[in-house]
Amino acid sequence: MTSLARLPDAAHGPLAPQAALRAVLEAAAADLVVSTCGYPSRDLQAIGDRREHFYLVGSMGMAAPVALGVALAHPDRRIVAVDGDGSVAMNLGCLPMVAASGAQLVHVVLDNGLHESTGGQATVRPLDLPALALAAGYRSARTVDSLDELAALTFDATPALVHIPCAPRTEAIGARIRLTPAQLVARARAALDVPHSEEIE
Amino acid sequence: MFTTAAGASAATLLVTPALHTDNPSCPARARPADAPRVVLDAFRDAGCTFASGVPCSLLAGLFAALERGDSAIEYAPAPREDCAVGVATGALLAGRPSFVLMQNSGLGYCLNVITSLNMIYGLALPLVVSWRGRHADAVEHDVIGARMPDLVASLGLAFTVFDPDRAAACVGEVVDRARTTRLPAILAVDASAGL
Repeated sequence: MTSLARLPDAAHGPLAPQAALRAVLEAAAADLVVSTCGYPSRDLQAIGDRREHFYLVGSMGMAAPVALGVALAHPDRRIVAVDGDGSVAMNLGCLPMVAASGAQLVHVVLDNGLHESTGGQATVRPLDLPALALAAGYRSARTVDSLDELAALTFDATPALVHIPCAPRTEAIGARIRLTPAQLVARARAALDVPHSEEIE
Repeated sequence: MFTTAAGASAATLLVTPALHTDNPSCPARARPADAPRVVLDAFRDAGCTFASGVPCSLLAGLFAALERGDSAIEYAPAPREDCAVGVATGALLAGRPSFVLMQNSGLGYCLNVITSLNMIYGLALPLVVSWRGRHADAVEHDVIGARMPDLVASLGLAFTVFDPDRAAACVGEVVDRARTTRLPAILAVDASAGL
């Protein structure tokens, strides 16, 4: 039977997702990062785990909303949301909410056209994500497909979306997230310099 | 920023269509005009300074007060209830106690966020959830209205029915239950509440 699955072609994107994330982290060395579940969070942990990384192990589609909540609580800080093309497609509805906030939020989308964490099935995704983000009200949005460009990124107009066309992963996949969810909360609060106690819970 | 710092763009967002007028029949009760204010003040007194949500006619007074920005609570309207939970959870993670308001029809959308974010990370949000379908109501509320307590109980979450005569105390109890259990806690608001 006919399938509507749209698998990416070989020219989909030149970058390895892990290499792209390394470059993003260079440009965002001081920022708190909220990452989507599955391989992107495991990539970040493998590349260089640090207390500024808040890994979502579930709740697919929630990286940008959670990052937005952090950004609204800390308007003085820039917050990075790391999404995949599948997870952003799952929650395109959040884009106007992120845009309306005017928050210092940088929304990074690794796009290899695949639900790679579940075995490489085709995603259902917009043809032009930066255009969609701009239409939703993001103050800047662009596609970036070279490491030099990524490492040199500045984010003057936020909320910003950075769309990174990627290839399927060829590097070994990082381990599952080692810290417990409660430990991730505790260290994110330490990174944000906020109390972590019963008073907050 | 949203309603507490309403710039032009935020104000535009808040132009809302007319509220639903299909309030279900319900036990008659005088609606104190300041009930929404009492509830929001109770959240503020419990330390909550941020809220997100998706409107329900049973909570129209609360949403109106939040949209006006006169409650000392910053409010960010969300397109869907799972988004509201995600944003409020991010704020809570970042040290800002928060809560969410929604219709019970949105509870299903939130199940994955509640179970695979809030419940395992110990990020305990109070959820103000209208109880459409508790009394005679439009047909689309029948099933969730009948099953809502069982649904919440199946997750092991606290379920408190809002009592208008103990409005501030109900809010305080729900916030406390969330904090002590480190789980979301539900404040169910039916059509008699006058909120």
